[in-house]
Amino acid sequence: MATKAEFLGRIRAEMARTPGLFTVAAAPWPARPGERLALLRRELAERWPATLERFARELERVGGVFHRVASPGEVAGLVADLARAGAMERVVAWAPGALGLDLAGPLAARGLSAVAMPEGDVAASERTRLREVAAVADLGVTGVDLAIAETGTLVVVSGAGRPRSTSLLPPCHVAVLDREALVESLEQAGLVLEAWHDGEAGPAGGASINFITGPSRTADIELTLTRGVHGPKELHAVFVEQGLARPRHG
Amino acid sequence: MSEPEVATPLRERTGHALRDPFLQQALTIATTRFIDLRREAFGDFPDGESLRDRARAIKEATLQRLDHHVERLVASVESRGGHVHYAVTAEEARAIVLDIARRSGARLAVKSKSMATEEIHLNEALATAGVTPVETDLGEYIIQLAHERPSHIIAPAIHKTRGQVAELFERELKRPAAPDPEALTAIAREELRRRFLDADLGITGANFAVAETGTVVLVTNEGNGRMVTSLPRVHVALMGVEKVIPSMSDLMVFLAVLARSATGQKLSVYTSLVSGPRRGGELEGPEEFHLVLLDNGRIAQIAGSLREALACLRCGACLNVCPVYRQIGGHAYGYTYPGPIGILLTAMLNGPRSVKDLAHASSLCGACADACPVRIDIPRMLIELRREVDERRIAPRGERAAFRALARLLVRPAWYRLTARVARVLQAPFVRGRTIRRVPFDLGEWTRTRDLPAVAPRTFQERWAALEREGR
Repeated sequence: MATKAEFLGRIRAEMARTPGLFTVAAAPWPARPGERLALLRRELAERWPATLERFARELERVGGVFHRVASPGEVAGLVADLARAGAMERVVAWAPGALGLDLAGPLAARGLSAVAMPEGDVAASERTRLREVAAVADLGVTGVDLAIAETGTLVVVSGAGRPRSTSLLPPCHVAVLDREALVESLEQAGLVLEAWHDGEAGPAGGASINFITGPSRTADIELTLTRGVHGPKELHAVFVEQGLARPRHG
Repeated sequence: MSEPEVATPLRERTGHALRDPFLQQALTIATTRFIDLRREAFGDFPDGESLRDRARAIKEATLQRLDHHVERLVASVESRGGHVHYAVTAEEARAIVLDIARRSGARLAVKSKSMATEEIHLNEALATAGVTPVETDLGEYIIQLAHERPSHIIAPAIHKTRGQVAELFERELKRPAAPDPEALTAIAREELRRRFLDADLGITGANFAVAETGTVVLVTNEGNGRMVTSLPRVHVALMGVEKVIPSMSDLMVFLAVLARSATGQKLSVYTSLVSGPRRGGELEGPEEFHLVLLDNGRIAQIAGSLREALACLRCGACLNVCPVYRQIGGHAYGYTYPGPIGILLTAMLNGPRSVKDLAHASSLCGACADACPVRIDIPRMLIELRREVDERRIAPRGERAAFRALARLLVRPAWYRLTARVARVLQAPFVRGRTIRRVPFDLGEWTRTRDLPAVAPRTFQERWAALEREGR
């Protein structure tokens, strides 16, 4: 097995033979993503209704369902309706602090079994138990860190109180967002990711960021489109007009 | 040499494929569909062409400073608590993964679709070492149950019907299975869900790795990539060293062209960005994260004749449009990577000898270069490979002699005209209409599947000379 030095040495030995072979010069490094992002956010704040409209259209094109409610208080009712329509009973949700609203109580009041994930570190045995809870749940409710209008994509960052499994193991995923999450394009999303990495206050950073564009799908058998092969079969995005309570960035 | 040379000759393999009516139908349906989807996706996308140029420029710029970007990647992964390993050969890569499996006491490994692990034949090695590898992409799961290899880079089981899959599930999983894609998919979901939750080890490839942030990027539609990187205790990602890209902004450019080229989607359903092991406060995610950087012939091409192929995104677009692939399918190529780009990658991994016949399995029509999201000039490199095969005297003696003679003839107009006149006389007994259906003696092999146009009663040169005499 090679060491790092040997491996890099092999690369450098070959690179020494390349002058003149490449037609393109190295691109300049993009500078100060934080500043560019601040500028972008001001622009987005003016254009958000059009961005939202495009997001909703693209989300539905990839098989997601778009919902719009006025206040955070209406989310629980919507989730309960969705659950009832799909004969679903067991709900898991991100921690109230991560989601920006507390769903467990209101959902229980509507006759559903609802578990909110813990905000912080828990013992290994408890982690295993919570994973089993998510594995048998029918519906998972998460927040959204970015919503990309161009592609109808939901970006979800893992972290404390925001388990990866909530948007993955249950057959139905409900994602709750507000206008703060909206960006227009993949390019803008790239800038946001760079700014987060550069130290700009981002969502409580876990090790996994997922771009979700529609329900899980496959066409591996005779190219027949089939939904819900490993991830959720159903995907709902709920837009909250008045915004969510949580301090989103920072 | 990382892959064994294929025992059956190429002609026999292609003959087999051409005589399989089901394969022929499956190939036509699948490749036509992929071509249409890709065309629609780029048709709706005015920025597409300029993004393809940008994607290529980023690859070129990255390869120019590959040492810098690899060093940066390693530092970022390690700063996030991940481990980086370096494999010069396929054998070393296998040993590294087996060692990680052994030290973590793994018995069951779940895998997300990865051509790099196919390339090093990892599954056989894992099984031998007592670790059960389970492929979790539906297509890969099907061919693993059938003990086959992928026939397409992104749709590994396109050569199977729903009926065949149902039979396979009944036989291998010992449970009733209706020949219906929805029902079969539900069975796979159930079978694999248990495996995801039970597995000790998750093995993936990487579509990209972002140097600046130490992030491995996996693109899937099913969600198996997310399962494999979230549920098992240990995650190993194996990637060709050329997959490194500088920044998140660069990643967005590639994402925009990759899915459109592969399946005609704007974006695949799941793009997973994984940066090291589980962090404090997280409920899930692996305790250990390992990144294996694989050379296996790639580094030698940084300054080599196949350099451009290092930009390949493994989208499969060149397979779908290739008139040869569309006839013979992936298995006939005989190695891990099929299609036009596969010939180049096979030469990269196994040396030019491995493609002495395959280098000719192309009409050089250029459709592959047109379809390639990063505009790799595949036909140019195929010609280059043919030359290399010739220079190394790998081609049969007779073939080399014939081409040498032709080369001499083509640069001597007088000899050429004389030869045409002589051939016109000699060909007389064999001409039917304007073609020769069968050439006698050893040369007959060539006309077994082709017609040879006969030398015309009056050649172009003779007619031209006549016209000039008439003073036109």
